[in-house]
Amino acid sequence: MKIKTLEDLNKIKEKGLNKLLSSDKPHIAVGLASCGIATGGDRVFKALEDTIKAKKLDVELTKTGCFGICHEEPLVNVRIPGKPLVILHKVTENDAEKIIDDVANGKVPEEKALCKIEEWDHLTLDETVNYGKGYSNIPLWNEIPYFKPQKKVVLRDAGIINPEDIEEYIAVGGYSALYKALTEMTPDEIIEEVKKSGLRGRGGAGFPTGLKWSFIKKEKSDIKYVICNGDEGDPGAYMNRNEMESDPHMIIEGMLIGAYAVGATEGYIYVRAEYPLAIERFRKAIDQAREYGFLGENILGTDFSFDIGLVSNAGAFVCGEETALIASIEGKPGRPRPRPPFPAQKGLWGKPTNINNVETWCNIPVIIKKGGDWFSQIGIEKNTGTKVFSLVGKVKKAGLVEVPLGTPVRTIVYDIGGGAAKNRKVKAVQTGGPSGGTIPTSLFDTPVDYEHLKELGAIMGSGGIVVMDEKTCMVDTAKYFLNFTVDESCGKCVPCREGLKRMYDILDRITKGKGEEEDMETLEELATTIKEASLCGLGQTAPNPVLTTLKYFRDEYEAHIKEKRCPAHVCVDLIKFEVNKDKCIKCGLCYSACPVGAIDWKKGKTSIINKDKCIKCKACIEVCPVGAIE
Amino acid sequence: MAEKLINIKINGKVYKAEEGETVLSVCNRVGIDIPALCYNEALAPYGACRLCMVEVVNGPGKKGMTTSCTLRAVEGLEIVTDTEKIKHHRNILFELYLAQAPGSEEIRKMAAKYGVTKTRFAEKVKPLDPLGNKCVLCGQCVRVCDEIMGTAAINYIGRGSNTRINTPYLEESNVCMGCGACAEVCPTGAIQIEDVEDKRVMKSWSNTKVQLKKCKSCGRYFAPDPMLDFTYGKLDPEIKEELKDLCPDCRRKLLSKKEILINQGEAYKNEK
Repeated sequence: MKIKTLEDLNKIKEKGLNKLLSSDKPHIAVGLASCGIATGGDRVFKALEDTIKAKKLDVELTKTGCFGICHEEPLVNVRIPGKPLVILHKVTENDAEKIIDDVANGKVPEEKALCKIEEWDHLTLDETVNYGKGYSNIPLWNEIPYFKPQKKVVLRDAGIINPEDIEEYIAVGGYSALYKALTEMTPDEIIEEVKKSGLRGRGGAGFPTGLKWSFIKKEKSDIKYVICNGDEGDPGAYMNRNEMESDPHMIIEGMLIGAYAVGATEGYIYVRAEYPLAIERFRKAIDQAREYGFLGENILGTDFSFDIGLVSNAGAFVCGEETALIASIEGKPGRPRPRPPFPAQKGLWGKPTNINNVETWCNIPVIIKKGGDWFSQIGIEKNTGTKVFSLVGKVKKAGLVEVPLGTPVRTIVYDIGGGAAKNRKVKAVQTGGPSGGTIPTSLFDTPVDYEHLKELGAIMGSGGIVVMDEKTCMVDTAKYFLNFTVDESCGKCVPCREGLKRMYDILDRITKGKGEEEDMETLEELATTIKEASLCGLGQTAPNPVLTTLKYFRDEYEAHIKEKRCPAHVCVDLIKFEVNKDKCIKCGLCYSACPVGAIDWKKGKTSIINKDKCIKCKACIEVCPVGAIE
Repeated sequence: MAEKLINIKINGKVYKAEEGETVLSVCNRVGIDIPALCYNEALAPYGACRLCMVEVVNGPGKKGMTTSCTLRAVEGLEIVTDTEKIKHHRNILFELYLAQAPGSEEIRKMAAKYGVTKTRFAEKVKPLDPLGNKCVLCGQCVRVCDEIMGTAAINYIGRGSNTRINTPYLEESNVCMGCGACAEVCPTGAIQIEDVEDKRVMKSWSNTKVQLKKCKSCGRYFAPDPMLDFTYGKLDPEIKEELKDLCPDCRRKLLSKKEILINQGEAYKNEK
């Protein structure tokens, strides 16, 4: 049915709430975002489905998105009517039978429980959703250290509602912000509200969203476009993927409100081709939104019309850059062009176009529903709201972390992430992916916001935080990121195309023990020119990983160049593969780990590495408990 | 209607410029020297070679370094073209160009003019490069073929430092008209074209062969067939049948002959 009035919307809302809070039967939802599927969530889903069928039980089984605690996946939400929603963790298909048996008996398998949710504030709903109380042995979700410092604004529905069911989205207040915007607010009032919220672009540069909207609003044109930039490409960053997979309607609603505010009638969602599930869920979401009358002609009975097309990207990182993205949608090679003219003046097909990142759009419905003032209370001055980070790398607890802007790096890495895995020491984090920089532990009190990170030579970027431990070589890390940007440079302008390649060559030489004294200076010189002279954001930021590692870990460069030594034992050409007799504890672990039998060892004897047989795979270094292999 | 004239300040001096004109075009006109490789006034601004960087000191837009080929003249704009910073960055770009196109005499001359005679970076020598290690990827050939000729027979292949320019799939082009506009605009003379008997061979473009037209009078091959058709199609009024397919020499001869005949009063007789 097409929703035309508030009564229609409320009717669907009630229907959806009945699904979420069904009082007659147990409800199970398996976390099936890409991360959940990767850890076997789809097999768990199948096993649960088969068990329910075999036992002929009346249990509701659905999908949900990702709750953000990736290191505990697969996650399964279990709810007995009137009781809290319990999240089970590390579930395998072997647990299916037990889960179903317990649920059939009105219980939850407490031994598998990670946490429980008694009530939940979806922010877009006037009241909180109350599941019930109980299970005193299971901690509340925000009592566990991983979630304690977090605040879920963007991830308000992720891992709770079924992303493939528009009715569940409507149940938690979905599209009510759109209704408010279309029926109670003028476009200017909406832009004013977004300005008041202080929301800044979540793609990385942090340009004020309300201001950006006011630019395109001013343009006179027969047609205007809004675009959602879902071309997330930083290595280690996957928050946009989760936002798209877990709550696609929130983005569609944000775009609808934005389109109404700036006077656009057509929109495009540009998703990277490597995200097939996000594309599939968007496709379903767009179909459902059309069916319910949120997309198409005369939306919600008003004279506002808008529709969305889905474009899958052609596989280039640079297409995340606004002008390259536009070229790509137009069917041209994804190469940036100089600005001005800005997309707000001449964008897609030469028409005024507004592009915002996925996460920027996610915030819009909440801002409209709760007001700009409410939003601006979160975070710190000039950096309002929350930001979702994907905390990855050598961290103990990896996952999607949503914290208010201004939260110190330390809180994210230690309090939430639990420090480095394998009881190692954290050495640094990399924010902003290949455009960002490394931040050493000594600066971990830095608040994570646009300005402070920039001051350190890093950037906020789209939100990847890669943790590095003591066994990470910073020269090798810089080389890794540069390899990425060299590969992803479009090749249009010379500093980025030729300069980055030259920087990579120098780093490669350094990691192979062929570095020369003047290399560091050449690297710095090249880096500065590339930053200053490149055409687009890719080149202008690509030297950051090198510049920050040179700034904070200069000693490691010097060890590589002057002493031909890799302090972290990462650069293969700088490892001697000899056993230090004084350090060796004769445990023989290296002997068992060597895949080619190159190590001689007998009980009570120091290991000897046979260099003719050694393939330099570093398996021995990985297992040696005392770091005796040099 | 004439464009609105405004004042902009370059290196402290005030110059007249048409509003919206590129700053590089103003500099070229008034004789302020700025190097550029990808700029061609017949083509849309591209901003790729980065050699024409200037520094915006004052103006309504962003301050700092930017390319003068994409910077538009507006009232109140003030730029400088020769700061130490600009020279420093430009010199590094020249070093990169010297290493990228070691086969190019033009690049060597240009770099030397600005004081750069050697590069710290290893020269990129590709033994079988159809562009003779002279291409700097300024894209003028690609753009003239697309924007001016409407042919788009060549384009970029690959990306990053592996970018090359050639025909799709490195196969002979079936749309190339052999007009040679690409070679005409190439700033480094990298594009090789040779006429062999009745064919024009675009040696740099996968040896694309284009049929040449035989002059109907003297019998020599003088211009690519498809390009003549393309040109005849654009003429209004149409070319006279008697002038069609004549090489420039024979055409001149014919016209001169007619001129003489007219003067002698013979033309009238003949036409009757």
